[in-house]
Amino acid sequence: MDLSRGFGARSGGVVPCREATGLAPPPLLPPENAGSFTALLELPATQAVELLHFTDSSSSQVVAPPPPLHSFGALPFPCNSVLMERAARYSVIATEVQNGNGSCETPTSSVPSNSSANLDRVKTEPTETDSAMENNHSPRPSSQNNRSGKRKEFEKKGKSSTKKNKSSEENEKLPYVHVRARRGQATDSHSLAERARREKINARMKLLQELVPGCDKIQGTALVLDEIINHVQSLQRQVEMLSMRLAAVNPRIDFNLDNILASENGSLMDGSFNGTPMQLAWPHQVIETEQSYHHRQLQPPPPPQPQQWPFDGLNQPVWGREEDQAHGNDHNSLMGVSENLMVGSANLHPNQVKTEL
Amino acid sequence: MASSDKTTNTDIPKKDVFALHFLQSLSNLKAQNPLDSPDKANVCVKKIKLAAYVSMARSAGGTSRLWSRALLRRAAKGNNKIPRRKKKVTWHRKRRSNRRAPVVEEAAERLRNLVPGGGAMETSKLMEETAHYIKCLSMQVKVMQCIVNGLSTK
Repeated sequence: MDLSRGFGARSGGVVPCREATGLAPPPLLPPENAGSFTALLELPATQAVELLHFTDSSSSQVVAPPPPLHSFGALPFPCNSVLMERAARYSVIATEVQNGNGSCETPTSSVPSNSSANLDRVKTEPTETDSAMENNHSPRPSSQNNRSGKRKEFEKKGKSSTKKNKSSEENEKLPYVHVRARRGQATDSHSLAERARREKINARMKLLQELVPGCDKIQGTALVLDEIINHVQSLQRQVEMLSMRLAAVNPRIDFNLDNILASENGSLMDGSFNGTPMQLAWPHQVIETEQSYHHRQLQPPPPPQPQQWPFDGLNQPVWGREEDQAHGNDHNSLMGVSENLMVGSANLHPNQVKTEL
Repeated sequence: MASSDKTTNTDIPKKDVFALHFLQSLSNLKAQNPLDSPDKANVCVKKIKLAAYVSMARSAGGTSRLWSRALLRRAAKGNNKIPRRKKKVTWHRKRRSNRRAPVVEEAAERLRNLVPGGGAMETSKLMEETAHYIKCLSMQVKVMQCIVNGLSTK
């Protein structure tokens, strides 16, 4: 959908420039400049624009200069209503005449596709020759007819404001909008879907590329994917290694975990789930609750105390030091550990971890 | 609290939730086995790893993500082995990948084996899930490193 939006926006961007060329240059458009073809291209647009903006005098002045290659355009129009009617009949003729003859046919057939041709020129081709235009027209005459018919209506109600014109033109373009086929690309639905899918994959891959460190310099899809796969594998291996280390550490700390969780289950309800400040600081919270648990156990011995007390004594080396540090008693090398634990989950400095190891 | 003024990135899953889940499941593991467990170290490692993955999947939105759903489902089967799927919906790779870009598809194939639940994903969906999975995995690694460091140093 955003593609279509962008496309519509681009077409909206193209339209004023065409209008500008329609407004300003008709006196400046000599027939030899654009090979009389683009002049013819511009001509109905100028008429439409005149309808919208100009008074009769200026309209006659503007319409006069274009070359008398076809009969309708050269006529000076007395008033707006006549011009409107003329335009309407003109495009009706265009749909009928289009299959026929050469020089009179080209401007009429190119009227409805004017903006799209401009688009194509903006996107791909710097210069557009007559034959290229003809090639562009030939493969889909039915759509041309459709569009010219729509254009007819569009010109009939062309007296409204330019913004309305733009919106109606966008609506008219909408079925063609998501067809992002450039010239030479296939336009059947399968290849279009395939192209959309590829674009989606590329966008996702760009997102992935930002995630994986050191991956944004790599060129080439396959290498990037390899790097992503390696990263995932290394992360999974790291998890395995860490769980091995945890298993090695585990027998010493299990009752600690019990303690933590026993005291944490209370704080889990009120503390960690209610706000953002607690989210980042779980180790600190753990330590705090641990301390409070210890203090609670020290002051009034609760009923389950006799079982846990020796294990607490056993495990005092692990957590007790941090407790000491939290009280500010111990300031030697263990400071790093507690800092790491306190700030740990918020920003884990890998350097700190390594030096600490 | 020095860390409270850091702004949280909502995209990254919450670390404390994962840590709580993980610690809880670790303690559950310990509650199941006695202190000096007769388990071999291999089994213990596997259990811990499974606990880590499950808690990661839970903290990363439960079943809202495809990979976490697959992880939880695999864990709910009770064993760490990947069950052989017989008639499940899988992305028909053989048929399609012939016509498509072979490099991307071949790499995506390897990625499908890595990301849990990736076998049933379309390629672009696979990429999306992989992005989230990588975020969660790196978070998990950080938290586990923190825990290990905090517990192993005396």
